[in-house]
Amino acid sequence: MADLLGIGKSGLFASKKALEVTGHNLSNVNTEGYSRQKVIQSENNPIYNGGFIQGTGVRVKGISRINDEFVDKRLNSALSNSKFHDTRSEHLDQVENIFNEIDNDGLNQTLNKFFNSFRELANQPENEAIRSVVRDTASLAVKDFRRIRNTLDSQANNVDRKLVASVTDINMLLSHIASTNEKIASIEIHQGETGDLRDQRDLDIKKLSEYFKVNTYVDEKNRYVVAAPGIGTLITGSAVQELAVVSKSKEDSSNNMSGSMEIVLKDRPGQIITNSFEGGTIASMVKVRNGDLRELQDKIDNIAHQFANSVNSIHRQGFVNRKIAIGPEGIPASEDKHGPTTGIDFFKAPTEVEGFANEIDLSNFIKDDLSNITAAMDPNAAGDNRVAIAISKIQHQKMGGDGSITLEEQYLQMIGKIGLETGKSHLDAEQANGLLAQANSVRERLAGVSIDEETANMIRFQHAYEASAKMIQAADEMFKTVLEIKR
Amino acid sequence: MTRVSENSSTASIKYALNKTKAKLEDLQMRGTTLKSIAKPSDNPASNVEALEITSTTNDNVQYLKNADFALLNLNVTEKSLEELTDIMNKAKEIAVAQSSDFFNADIRKNVANEVQQLYNQALAIANKKVGLKHIFAGTNTLATPFDSLGNYKGDSGHISLEVSRDYFIPINLTGKEVFFSMDEADPIENPLEKFDQFDKSSITKISRDLATSSEEAPGDMTGFKSRDNIFSQLQGLTSALENNNPEQVQNLLEKFDNSISRLITLRTRIGSITNSVDSAKSVTEAENVDHASRKSTLVDVDVAELFSDLTRQQNILKTTYQSTQGLMNQTLMDFLRR
Repeated sequence: MADLLGIGKSGLFASKKALEVTGHNLSNVNTEGYSRQKVIQSENNPIYNGGFIQGTGVRVKGISRINDEFVDKRLNSALSNSKFHDTRSEHLDQVENIFNEIDNDGLNQTLNKFFNSFRELANQPENEAIRSVVRDTASLAVKDFRRIRNTLDSQANNVDRKLVASVTDINMLLSHIASTNEKIASIEIHQGETGDLRDQRDLDIKKLSEYFKVNTYVDEKNRYVVAAPGIGTLITGSAVQELAVVSKSKEDSSNNMSGSMEIVLKDRPGQIITNSFEGGTIASMVKVRNGDLRELQDKIDNIAHQFANSVNSIHRQGFVNRKIAIGPEGIPASEDKHGPTTGIDFFKAPTEVEGFANEIDLSNFIKDDLSNITAAMDPNAAGDNRVAIAISKIQHQKMGGDGSITLEEQYLQMIGKIGLETGKSHLDAEQANGLLAQANSVRERLAGVSIDEETANMIRFQHAYEASAKMIQAADEMFKTVLEIKR
Repeated sequence: MTRVSENSSTASIKYALNKTKAKLEDLQMRGTTLKSIAKPSDNPASNVEALEITSTTNDNVQYLKNADFALLNLNVTEKSLEELTDIMNKAKEIAVAQSSDFFNADIRKNVANEVQQLYNQALAIANKKVGLKHIFAGTNTLATPFDSLGNYKGDSGHISLEVSRDYFIPINLTGKEVFFSMDEADPIENPLEKFDQFDKSSITKISRDLATSSEEAPGDMTGFKSRDNIFSQLQGLTSALENNNPEQVQNLLEKFDNSISRLITLRTRIGSITNSVDSAKSVTEAENVDHASRKSTLVDVDVAELFSDLTRQQNILKTTYQSTQGLMNQTLMDFLRR
């Protein structure tokens, strides 16, 4: 009879445990990274009694989580990949906007206006009012060169700031993973799996995968060894190799900008590892900053440099629009009381190509006096428009690189390329998101909680509980029957 | 059998809704702007081509302005040459009438006054301005080209304008060419010729000269070799009349003829340049129409197609909502009664 009570009690206990786990599952239905758990139960050891081998009820062996580490690994790598492309397309969208001339005037239109103002000056080289139009359109061009270079620079700085914030976040995750490692090791020494802690650790690994590709191995104490390809091991057991950011000078930086932020290992601050990350947001931001933005910065500098130089070299050949005294041998005076009469730069003479798009400016002569804008090739020839025509013809002059491409074509190629890259990044991101959704759904199908399933289980376990209780009631009544015999 | 969990079904619903809505948003955007390209990445090749077309169109607008300006100069020059021809014809008539001994000294003095008026008219034409420009001053356009004695103060520079891409036409005659002799005209050069920055082989020679005539008609232009100064001819006539010298008047007759035929030649050439500017203008205008239609196919949205796409996408979204309704709002709980 005591057997009967014991068996009933074991059933009652097992069903209650199962109901508890069901409740745990249901309450965590929306918890990120949660893997559903189930009770592992088996028959109690049978006993030999009165010539029979007899069962003694049920036993709860443990609670385990449903999880597949290969599915998790696939999910993490899909996440790194999708974050890489998402971040890239997000940044390139901003870059592309600098060059969007569909609704408003960009550099292409501004340069076009500049050249056309010289064409207008060629019509009426005597007219001072048109000179002021020329100066205004030229300062618009200057402003637009600077706007482009400035925005490119500030986007690079933006990446710098994000890198700093990311590294803080990464270090937090790393130390969290390390401490979870320790907790798991110390708890699992005594008993089975610690599903919830493992879920937390897996979730941290997943979050880390957003920043870069992560490889994990399990050591003999069920602790994770975390490594990043290209960087090395970051966590062994409870030991953490933290990352750090340092601000570098122009020469030491990886994108040729002063004050640029570079990532290093905390223990080895001399060795820059910014470019070594694979996948995830870090590699993506670094690629945008050191690749795409850098290339555009160089190109716009180059275009500004060629533009200013070629305008200057022609403008210097002209004579100012003032009366110029002619010397005894027919040589025109090289200076009058307003300054030089020829050899005047239109733009401030460029010193170096690098960063020139930020430096470009009208020369002081042009700023000070409109008559310093030259249109004539001969002195005292107010109607001579040859210099103005020649400057306007720079627009169609093939010059850049190997002399096979005009300034406008160079700029348009630049826009074409960034457009292509951005379009490609959108496609890549869409594809990577699809793969991520797939990997996610594989994980959720396996490890996610289904309310329907849990409801069904709940009823099942409730019935089992009721039945076990009935068993005990039956045993109780049997006891009573026996006891009443004596009375 | 595939297991379906709460998160996997909501994730797939979210994914489907997001995708449909993103497409719808894109179409909506096109509907509001009526542009098929909102940013370079929408269609990099079309975007670049559209930009190219925009700048060519802007250039063409400027070329049309240049052409109008050239036409203004050419027309004023033409008109001036016409008036000059009239003056010379009148002077010639007077010379013909006065070359006989029929008139006496008093009458000749009066006629001399009339000729002096013609001289003044010719001088006024010689110093004519368009805007700030003295049109017969070469490139020294701000200075008055002729003094009261008919001495030329201008230079022999020629002004060219680009009336369509790489097509330069000369727009002025110098005072020397018109009033003295065509022999003294400098050949007209391409305005880019003196610049080392430009590739010499790509510079086209200006095909049409306004005044130099050596190659065109070498033989029968011998008369131009002598000094054909219009002012000295008129002055010569005045003084011959004042001196009552019919022989001197007669000597002038041939010179007047030369001047008149020179003026007529110049007018014809101006006329032919005007024609070529006109034709360049109409070519440019036609090009602009072509460009506008090409640009429209590149950047403008096909409205019919857009709205059929839009309706279709809206239907897809509706269907997605309806199909999610069944999945989202029901669980086994709804069917279990206790």
